[in-house]
Amino acid sequence: MSRGDSIEKSFILRILRTICPDKLYEGIEGDLIERYEEDSRGNRAKTARIKFFFHAIKFIRPGIILRNKFSVQIINVIMLSNYLIIAWRNLLKNKAFSAINIIGLAFGLAACLFIFQFVSFELSFDNFNEKLVRTYRVTNDRFQNGKLIQHGTIMYPTIGATMAKDFPEIEEHTRIMPGGDLNVKIGDKNFRGEQCLFTEEKFFSVFSFKLLAGNKPTLLKDPYTAVLTEKTASKYFDVTDKDYSKLIGKTFIWGLDTRPYAVVGICENIPINSHLQFDALVSYSTLYSGEDKNADISWTWSDMRHYLVLKPGTDYKQLESKFPAFSDQYFKGDKVSGSVEKFYLQPMKDAHLYSDYEYDIATTASGKAVWAMLIVAVFILVIAWINYINLTTSRALDRAKEVGLRKVMGAFKSQLVKQFIFESLLIVTIAFVVAFLLTLAFQSSFNEIVGNELSLKTLFQTLSAKHFLVFILVLIGGALLSGFYPAFILSSYQPAIVLKGKFTRSASGNILRKALVVFQFTSSAALITATFIVSSQIDFMNKTDLGFSKNDILLVRAPELMRWDSTFVQRVESYKDELSKVHGVINSATSWSIPGKRLGRSFGIRLSDQPSDTHYTMSNLGVDYGFFDTYGISLIAGRKFLPTDHNANWEKITTVIINKNAVKLLGVKSPEEAIGKEVTWGDGGRKYTIIGVVNDFHQESLHKPMEPMIFRPSYSTYNTTSIKIERLDQDKTIADIKRVYAKFFPGNLFEYTFLDQQYQQQYNDETRFEKVISVFTVLAIIVSCLGLIGLSSYTATQRTKEISVRKVLGASMANVISILSIDFVKLVMIAALLSFPIAYFSIQKWLQGYAYRITPGLLQFILPGLAIVLIATATVSFQVLKTARRNPAETLKYE
Amino acid sequence: MQKEYLGEFEELVLTMVGILQEDAYGNAIVNEINERVGRTVNLSAVHVTLYRLEDKGYVKSGMGGATNERGGRRKRIFTITNAGLAILRAKKEQQVELWKLVPQLKISGI
Repeated sequence: MSRGDSIEKSFILRILRTICPDKLYEGIEGDLIERYEEDSRGNRAKTARIKFFFHAIKFIRPGIILRNKFSVQIINVIMLSNYLIIAWRNLLKNKAFSAINIIGLAFGLAACLFIFQFVSFELSFDNFNEKLVRTYRVTNDRFQNGKLIQHGTIMYPTIGATMAKDFPEIEEHTRIMPGGDLNVKIGDKNFRGEQCLFTEEKFFSVFSFKLLAGNKPTLLKDPYTAVLTEKTASKYFDVTDKDYSKLIGKTFIWGLDTRPYAVVGICENIPINSHLQFDALVSYSTLYSGEDKNADISWTWSDMRHYLVLKPGTDYKQLESKFPAFSDQYFKGDKVSGSVEKFYLQPMKDAHLYSDYEYDIATTASGKAVWAMLIVAVFILVIAWINYINLTTSRALDRAKEVGLRKVMGAFKSQLVKQFIFESLLIVTIAFVVAFLLTLAFQSSFNEIVGNELSLKTLFQTLSAKHFLVFILVLIGGALLSGFYPAFILSSYQPAIVLKGKFTRSASGNILRKALVVFQFTSSAALITATFIVSSQIDFMNKTDLGFSKNDILLVRAPELMRWDSTFVQRVESYKDELSKVHGVINSATSWSIPGKRLGRSFGIRLSDQPSDTHYTMSNLGVDYGFFDTYGISLIAGRKFLPTDHNANWEKITTVIINKNAVKLLGVKSPEEAIGKEVTWGDGGRKYTIIGVVNDFHQESLHKPMEPMIFRPSYSTYNTTSIKIERLDQDKTIADIKRVYAKFFPGNLFEYTFLDQQYQQQYNDETRFEKVISVFTVLAIIVSCLGLIGLSSYTATQRTKEISVRKVLGASMANVISILSIDFVKLVMIAALLSFPIAYFSIQKWLQGYAYRITPGLLQFILPGLAIVLIATATVSFQVLKTARRNPAETLKYE
Repeated sequence: MQKEYLGEFEELVLTMVGILQEDAYGNAIVNEINERVGRTVNLSAVHVTLYRLEDKGYVKSGMGGATNERGGRRKRIFTITNAGLAILRAKKEQQVELWKLVPQLKISGI
């Protein structure tokens, strides 16, 4: 019999019981046991067990399962609609409470929806490329005297082809050189402002930009051919009917070129989530179609970017490990290019978020910021769910009687669980709807902050199936989990205890609730600290003395339709002279580049008395003699450039100015000593005398250290004019400047910007980060406080009687309030303390991205902590005030 | 009648219910089939067939008394209804009619 007992308790029977119709189950179970008893006669117990198992398992068949559906369904439907009614009544019964619950959750969800939009967009970069996972950018680090001097994506035109020849793992490769601004003439119309890239026929095979017209295999093979994007084509040729095939073979003139460029293809507009952005492509072969083949074969001209597609299954790290040998073979240490060349591969999927390269053509964003935002989103979501759990379980006392009574009336625990989950689902659903409405309502303000065109639609378009699944799971799973916990807590009460009125809240529940509150406020406080420090870093960057004045400087673009000739210098001089006569113009200068831009580097600089294998690298900048005055860059030693230092014939220029860092780099003891020394580069054939040393200034953002710089006196047709103007009446001054410009450079478009705006663009990422993080910090605080309001007002009501007694015995108002709020304030204080280390370590990590950064003071950590304690105290006190003010007579008279 | 159709296995089980009378329950039917036809059938298949026959109205069922065997579980006893008997009879007659139409000549082929 004992054997029979064990069989009767077998789990397979339990499964059967749940799936069998109740009516049939006893007969089936009996038959199974009888069969087992028959089988186990004799000594066949073991096989009987196995047979029993198979007999039983065969009952799990549609013929049995489907038999019980109908009757149960009716009960379910009735019960479900009952749950819905109860849930709805409960919502309405505590309107304020439900509102706090729903609004808190909706805020959290809406914040997440926004952040997810942003994050999924940033993560979606380049996903449209079919060969994305196999495509790599070659990157190049250069070393001199053992020090890294350049970390870039630019290198020599020969790299891609040579690698493809040497390494069979490479399937295809293409090279790109940015061609800058296309200023195009078609018929008698001029167009300007389209950015172009020089590239080769493999481009459309490596990248998946869609071609609308043109023959793919031979595209961009011949010199003087171009592919336009849809937008550019419509602009140039006035196409409105989307029929682009008729444009093939049309021609345009670019700048001063005499030979026309033929349109050979039209491609779709570049998706905004592509790290490469361009308006037109011009065939690379154009660059070496003349006498000079350097663009194809040079080992020293470094302006080219290389992309490789590896064969499927290739480990790129393994290929990378062959690059040192490659470098030795072709660059022979620093013999060829003046520096030791190291090559690496960067997966193209990392190009947008994880690039810190100089001279990058990719549109980049900070991957760290994106992940930080995602973490913020998750925190807000968790805070919102915690609120929900806290608020629901804190009301356990109210619901305990209901639960007890339901159990007495015969409700199963599973039914109660179902009922509470149903309630959760109702609240969560409403919260979702509110969240979606909030998202729709605030979408445009959010887009303004992040400077992007995002919407819920982009969220669904840019998410890959995998991420989408995770996203849904997080949302739904979180909602369910936060519903399950209270459901199980509430449904587990023992009716006898509850109905006798002896029920008090469990200590474990209290501890959990407290822990959750601490978590909420720790994250809120950490967020406040982060916001605080991010904004002080930004403030620091804006206020730092850059070493030059960036305000009120107007930048006028170079007249591109001007040819270089012997009269050019004279013309620029008279142009500047005329400018200085304009009312409001203080100073003007032309220069090859402007502050805020990455400068080109010279790699082989040395003092003329140093041995010829000495190499130093400096950023170089061609400026005219007015540059240092216009920008207010101070001179330390020697003199500034004079007009006599210039010469239309570059061979006759013999002077340079360097900055303080360059003096140090060259090993000269003091700036004064540097004056009169000669520098040279390359074979040392030409020498330049150092005539002046200027102070270091922040050519680039504070992310980057100030580099050694060398200035040469020069004019060029590409030079931007920087004009320092008075602050007053700038519109009129600009109009006057435009007139002067038109007089000297007829036919050229007058385009200008302000330097401070352009310089500021380097901080786009952090200003955006600051705005977003402050918005979401506020959200997190609101949500946390909502939870605190709910909790504190609830405990206050719970303790009404206690308070009344205290008041009768003479407790003052302040006394009562402090008694009621002290518990919460204590929690928040703990949270504030906990947030210090968390905020400190994460913020240190963030600050490491800046060469010049603030050292966060103690105050910057203490203040946010104080702030959060104050906010929480205010919230709680305001809530308990109501209870504290009640007349004790009212509450006690019922006793 | 549309529901007149009776499968081969259904017919077998129905016949057994008729034979076993008051003792017709799942396990007994399995054993009876094994004994009389020499065919091993599945317990769950017999159960499902019985329920289907009940749906069609050829058998009805009720719980028998508890016994000491089978863990004290009661048996679900099936009894054949008039409709069940009628369809069995009709089946038999139909088969006999059809059998008559088969030429019997081969028997004498020595």
